[in-house]
Amino acid sequence: MNPGAATTVFPALSALLILPLAGALVALALSRDAASCRRLALGVSLAELALILALPLLNGPGPLHLAEDFAWISAMGARYHLGLDGLSYVLVLLTAVLQVLAVLVSWREVERSVGFYFFCLLASQASANGIFLARDLFLFALFWEFQLVPMFLLIGVFGHEEKRAAAAKFLIFSLAGGLAMLLAIAGLGLAQAGSTGLPNFSLAALLAQPVSPGLQLWLFTGFLLAVAVKVPILPLHTWLPDAHTQAPTAGSLILAGVLLKTGAYALIRLALPLFPAAAQAALPVLMFVGLLGLFYASWIALAQTDAKRLVAYSSIGHMSLVVLGAAAGSPLSLTGSMFQMLGHALSTGGLFLMVGMLSERAGSRELADFGGLWRTMPVFGAFFLFFCLAAAGLPGLCNFPGEFMIIVGTFKDHPAAGAAAFAGLVLTLVYVLRLAAAVIFGRPGKKARHPDMTFREVLILSGLTALILLLGLHPQPVLDLLTPAVTELLGAREGLP
Amino acid sequence: MSDWFYLLPQAILCAGGLAALGLGAVLLRPAPGLQLGGALLFLAAAGAIVLALPAAGPVLDDMLAFDGIVRFYQLLILGSAGLSLLFASRYASLRGLAGDELYALVLFATLGMLLLAGAANWVIFVLGLELFTLCLYVLIALDRGRRTSLEAALKYFVPGAAAAGCLIFGVALIYAATGSLDLASSLASTAAGDVASFGPGLAGLALILLGVGFKLALAPFHLWAPDVYQGAPAPVAAFLATGSKVAVYAALLRLVAALPADAWQALAPVFWLLSAATLLAGSLPALTQTRVKRLLAYSSVAQMGYLLLALLAYPAAGPAPVMFYAAAYVLMDLGAFGSLGLLSPVSGDLDALEGFAGLGRTRPWPAAVLAVSLLSLAGLPLTMGFVGKFVVFVAVVRAGYPVLAGIGILGAVVAAGAYLRVLGALYFGRPVHAGQGQPPGPAAYVALGLVGALIVLLGIVPGPLLGLLR
Repeated sequence: MNPGAATTVFPALSALLILPLAGALVALALSRDAASCRRLALGVSLAELALILALPLLNGPGPLHLAEDFAWISAMGARYHLGLDGLSYVLVLLTAVLQVLAVLVSWREVERSVGFYFFCLLASQASANGIFLARDLFLFALFWEFQLVPMFLLIGVFGHEEKRAAAAKFLIFSLAGGLAMLLAIAGLGLAQAGSTGLPNFSLAALLAQPVSPGLQLWLFTGFLLAVAVKVPILPLHTWLPDAHTQAPTAGSLILAGVLLKTGAYALIRLALPLFPAAAQAALPVLMFVGLLGLFYASWIALAQTDAKRLVAYSSIGHMSLVVLGAAAGSPLSLTGSMFQMLGHALSTGGLFLMVGMLSERAGSRELADFGGLWRTMPVFGAFFLFFCLAAAGLPGLCNFPGEFMIIVGTFKDHPAAGAAAFAGLVLTLVYVLRLAAAVIFGRPGKKARHPDMTFREVLILSGLTALILLLGLHPQPVLDLLTPAVTELLGAREGLP
Repeated sequence: MSDWFYLLPQAILCAGGLAALGLGAVLLRPAPGLQLGGALLFLAAAGAIVLALPAAGPVLDDMLAFDGIVRFYQLLILGSAGLSLLFASRYASLRGLAGDELYALVLFATLGMLLLAGAANWVIFVLGLELFTLCLYVLIALDRGRRTSLEAALKYFVPGAAAAGCLIFGVALIYAATGSLDLASSLASTAAGDVASFGPGLAGLALILLGVGFKLALAPFHLWAPDVYQGAPAPVAAFLATGSKVAVYAALLRLVAALPADAWQALAPVFWLLSAATLLAGSLPALTQTRVKRLLAYSSVAQMGYLLLALLAYPAAGPAPVMFYAAAYVLMDLGAFGSLGLLSPVSGDLDALEGFAGLGRTRPWPAAVLAVSLLSLAGLPLTMGFVGKFVVFVAVVRAGYPVLAGIGILGAVVAAGAYLRVLGALYFGRPVHAGQGQPPGPAAYVALGLVGALIVLLGIVPGPLLGLLR
């Protein structure tokens, strides 16, 4: 985090926030005309994607590192400081890809209050980008909390039958965690107050100089509460199955693909490096809850009868593995965790999309209503099997490199944990196969006959398929992006400058 | 410059109130626009003079203080009165309540609040406090035909009278103990270690705190608030919840500033307990309310707790947090009660949660301001409430009360659950009545726009205001 190395590129990074936010407001203004709202949202998402793909061109020689830093609330010591390194880049890119898919998948599903819907979707992208880019803790907390509002509305307004309770549960859990982190940020900023007496929220300055170990434990707990709700880490996961099940399809996609990633990102980028002593002390606990989450979620997933709920529990399992890899703290396992974040977003995102498409047709998410889709909807069956295999971690697909690196990286220092994680993955295989068997194989259930995939749906799924294959077969470019961030974050955790 | 200039804002408000009454006597039925415009003009003139007057020490034989803090609070009070009137004018004329007394009483109450905010002497303190309370008794009962309105006024009046008695007795005790009615010097000599004066002085201070605690609806003196806010017409509740509270806080801030260190040491635990109790006693019951006005009343009790937190941190962290949060609170509660009034049908203020169902779709603008105010009260970002809460937490941690900050967070989460139910009704529910309420009219739209825009704008760019307060 050497500020001298960063290339200042105002306003390229701000544009990543402003473009979706402006799009959101325009969508709200256009809300009388549903068709132009859809076109606008698609245009904005594609423009954002193009912008992100072009960003590395602005970077000077050396690893990707772009920044913007301006005075903001000087009376409080908070700065408007955005930074983009490899880790932020892949997550921002992931967000943009999922956003395009989310817009496309909502093309027909959402028919009323279209402007408001795309307002929420685009606002959630802006807030997620803010989380991934913020290099000032107050700015980070602002985006972190703001993210709740559009997601709350997406679930509460556009969700399914139990939407109100699910939305409220989501908001209360996240708000409680977020406020605990807010207090920890206040304490941290004050503990590092300079000679001016102003609190210091600059991430680089805070990383360079950890606070006393006694204080670290308190502050780390505050951060961990926020992270544990978002990731989610057991036992603070109970909001997630409800939120996922009740959210509209695009909402589930963004929840799994982006929102949970912000939690893991905060763990990797902030909580662990900012409080190295506390993180060291909490390491066994974190690894234990990671493993526990993997087993527990897989176990519960086995018992689900609602397809979307099953995928939601699988999400908890995959994210628990991310926590394990991040806590284990070897370069390999940390890289694996970051990679797994991408893999999980694509594979689980794909499953959520397909379950959404199915329930849009059948009006049901019950496993018992389906079966035999391989014969009645062959294109659907093929894609579904592919995403199931990706979620199960088949070599050559997107989850494999991450899971492999996490297990191998953990095994080196913690052989028991590594072995347990491996056993947990076998359990994953079981419920994924059960899902595949219940939906596409066997006898056709009573709601199994529907028109096969439309062109738009095939387009969405093919895009995801290509990305899953790319990540699985040729992970090196992404790993190259992640390596400098891994070195730097681990350096901070080991107390190196 | 003559000291008398410092009475000019108060004199203008007094003239304004008399003019409003006179207008009613001369013209039998003055146009509502004329009344509103005139009242706003007087408020603006008073505001301009408050802005123009140079800061000074106590003036007029040490009766009034006028420093930067007083100036800020007086502007806040004038703004609150102006916005309340903007919200109230069409509301009142639709319901036949827009007599000359509405405008005159608001102006007189504002005069009392300005006096209290600038009081440097116990007599002015009591005078200001009682002047605006007296006006509020009548304003709450403005809707004479409605039983709840009268009941609310009575419920404000009876404990209010008792509290006034406590307050005046407390002032008498302090005077007996120290021989001084000057706020600063009487407090300074109370705690000077003189055993003879310490006991009565402290008892006097306790009685004064009790009286003030009632006016602010601090727990355990807060139980009148839900009944009164529920019965009062919504714009009056807005004025009651904002103007009167910040005026008392301005006085309390000066009181705390004048306390010597050892007296503060003795009082800090009392404030600690009061703020913790107020936070919880406001947030927890809010969760179970099914009546939105009662819910907002409990929420405003909880907000008093946050202000008290900031006040407790004042000796360590300076006045900026408490002042910033006061400004945020004024805007949030004005927005909440004001838009509630605009959403209400003429037949009676909206209150039951079901009545709000689907209003986000049928009445988008007032509902949006209500939603923004609620999000801000819940402390979500891009609103002033978020920055305000953060600033208060920073101050409280700096002052060394992390446990209290934790209680504050607990209260915030619980209260957020309560706000969610209103938000859920506004946006997730199906509309029950098609054309509820009346079009708000241009004046209310100005107020809505101002409140909504300020909450968001100062939530994104709080720097200038915070810089000003430091």
